[in-house]
Order: sequence, then structure tokens, then C-alpha cells
Amino acid sequence: MRAREATARRYARAVYELARESGDADSVGRELVQVTDVVTRQTAVSDVLSRPWIKPDDRRAIAAAIAQKAGARKLVQDFLGLVAERGRADHLSEIVAAYQALEDAERGQARAQVRSAVALTDAEKRDLSARLERALGKRILMEERVDPTLLGGFVAQVGSLILDGSLDGQLARLRQRLARG
Amino acid sequence: MIRVLALALLLLGATPAAVLASEGGGGLINLDKSLIIQAINFALLLFILVKLLYKPLLTKMEERTQAIRKSLDEAQAARAEAQHEREEHAARLQAAHAEAQAIRAAALKEAGEEQRKLVEAARGEAARLVESARAELAQDVRRARQDLRQEVSELAITVAERLIRKSLHDDDHRRIVADAIARVDKVN
Repeated sequence: MRAREATARRYARAVYELARESGDADSVGRELVQVTDVVTRQTAVSDVLSRPWIKPDDRRAIAAAIAQKAGARKLVQDFLGLVAERGRADHLSEIVAAYQALEDAERGQARAQVRSAVALTDAEKRDLSARLERALGKRILMEERVDPTLLGGFVAQVGSLILDGSLDGQLARLRQRLARG
Repeated sequence: MIRVLALALLLLGATPAAVLASEGGGGLINLDKSLIIQAINFALLLFILVKLLYKPLLTKMEERTQAIRKSLDEAQAARAEAQHEREEHAARLQAAHAEAQAIRAAALKEAGEEQRKLVEAARGEAARLVESARAELAQDVRRARQDLRQEVSELAITVAERLIRKSLHDDDHRRIVADAIARVDKVN
């Protein structure tokens, strides 16, 4: 897993440097997310790009065509083609995450993945974001999603930091206390 | 030998007396040439007797005496040897008896020691078994308590979850979220 992440970081750093040189790091990041979403959602596409018996040149051409069809710029097309040619299409999610981490580090920002039982109101989002920024000293980009399995409250994850403000977490802690006696 | 010669001389001395007696008034022996011949005959006879009978007889007697003495000596030696063997046997018997006593005493001591060790080992084993059973029992009790506590907590939390899920309204969600957001400040 560590090797996989290290590989993804190498690819992400390479494309990030090129994007930054051209001054389009932000747009390239968005397009990478978009293309990766297309590839990972359609299993047939990800299968084709991962098959070792399909010629590398063919994989490259297919990946570049997909990126072109998704409206990505030449840099993203070439990058996706390279990743597919090298048989690393299954690393795309990690590459995107590593790219975002580089982008966030460059800009002094962090991404907060927030799972909540019910959708947060705008005011709650702002309040949470402001408090997280104060606590971590970074600008927070919030990625929120509703998780119906949660009983109430929310769970926010920023990097390796997890803030459990859910009823589930409280009940889990209560369960542990009861079990310990 | 000396006694024979003395006897011969006595006979020779008696002979002239006998001759004189016959000359005096009709004795047994006459003092003439026949006396000399008789004396020579007697001497010859005596010589032959001594040579042929007396000496072998003496030799035989001596041999017998020597044989008897030898037998006596041998008997004496045999008796002494028997006595020696008897004493030796008695000493050996006594030594064997003493050795047997020592072996018996050692065996008794060893058996006693072995018995003591066995008893001690049995006591130790019994104590270990009791301790092990006690520890196992305590472990079982602890485990049973833990299981019971686990089950009770699981049950309580499950019931609480159901009740909470049923009774939670939007206001409650907002309040829970607000409380959780407020706790973010305590992260540092």
C-alpha cells in the first residue's frame, strides 16, 4: 500500500510541476478529478486500461481519447495516456489525492471530508469550516456528504485528524465504558 | 642293636657257667672245641638274624614311625588349616553380615528419602492443581462477567440507538451538530 502511494506521489508531483509551470494547476486538478471520476465509475473503461495483455500503445490511445472526450486539456490527455501506458490506471484515485495534497500544501489549505446524518445547513458549514481553520491554522476546503447510517451529528476528517461529533461515536464510547465496567 | 648285643653277651656269659656246671657234676655245655663252634654258629646266626630280620624290622618300624608322624603332622596341619578356614569363613560371614546390614540401612534410608520426595512432589502437585483450578475458576468468573457486561452494554446501546433514531427530529439534529461544532474548538 505504501509502495502504491509512493508511486502515485511520483506521478502526481510530475504532473503538478508541469501544471504549475503552465500556471494551470487548479484547472488541471479539476480536470484530473473529472477524468478519474469517468474512468473509475465505468468499470469497463478501468478494466481495459488495466489489462496487461492490451498493448501499451493501445491503452495510451484509449486513455487519451477518453480524456479528450471529457474535455480535458492536452497535458491531462498526455498524462492519462502515460499512466495507462505504464499500466498504472488503477492508481488514478491515489494520484488525484496526492495531486490535491500537493496543491493544498502549496496553498496552505486542507480538505475536510465531512460525513453527516442530515445535510448541514450553510451556516453550520461556515461555522464548522471557520472553527476548523482556527484550530488547524489552514484554509479548509469542505467536502460534505450525507451518510444515512449515522445516527446524528457528523464525522470530519482532515488528513489524519478525525473529529467525531456523531451520536454513533458517543454511543461507541459509552459501549466501551460499559463493557470495561 | 645295643640291646641285642647285650642279650648275646649275656648268653655268652651264661655259656661258660653252664660248661663249668657240667664239668662239676654233669652240666649242659662242655668247654671244648664244640663250644667255640657253637659260639661261632651263634655269632653267625646272630649276624644273619640281625642282617636279615632285625635291620629290616627296624627300618620298617622306623618307616612306620615316620609315616605315623607324618600322618600326625598332616592331620595337625589339616586341623590347623580347617581351623584357619573356619575362622576365615566366620570373618567373611561377619563381613557379609555387616555389609548386608549396611546395604539394608542404605536401602531403608534411600526408600525413606524417596518416599519423602514423593510425598513432597504429590503435595506440590496437589497445591499446583488447586491453585490452577482456583485461577481457572477466577478466570472463568472474570470472563463470564466480561461477557455479561459486553452483552448488557450491547443490548443497552442497541435499544438506545433504536430509541434515539425513533425520537430524533430535525431540531435535535441541529442541536447535536451545533454541539459537535462547538467542540471543534477543543481540538487543540
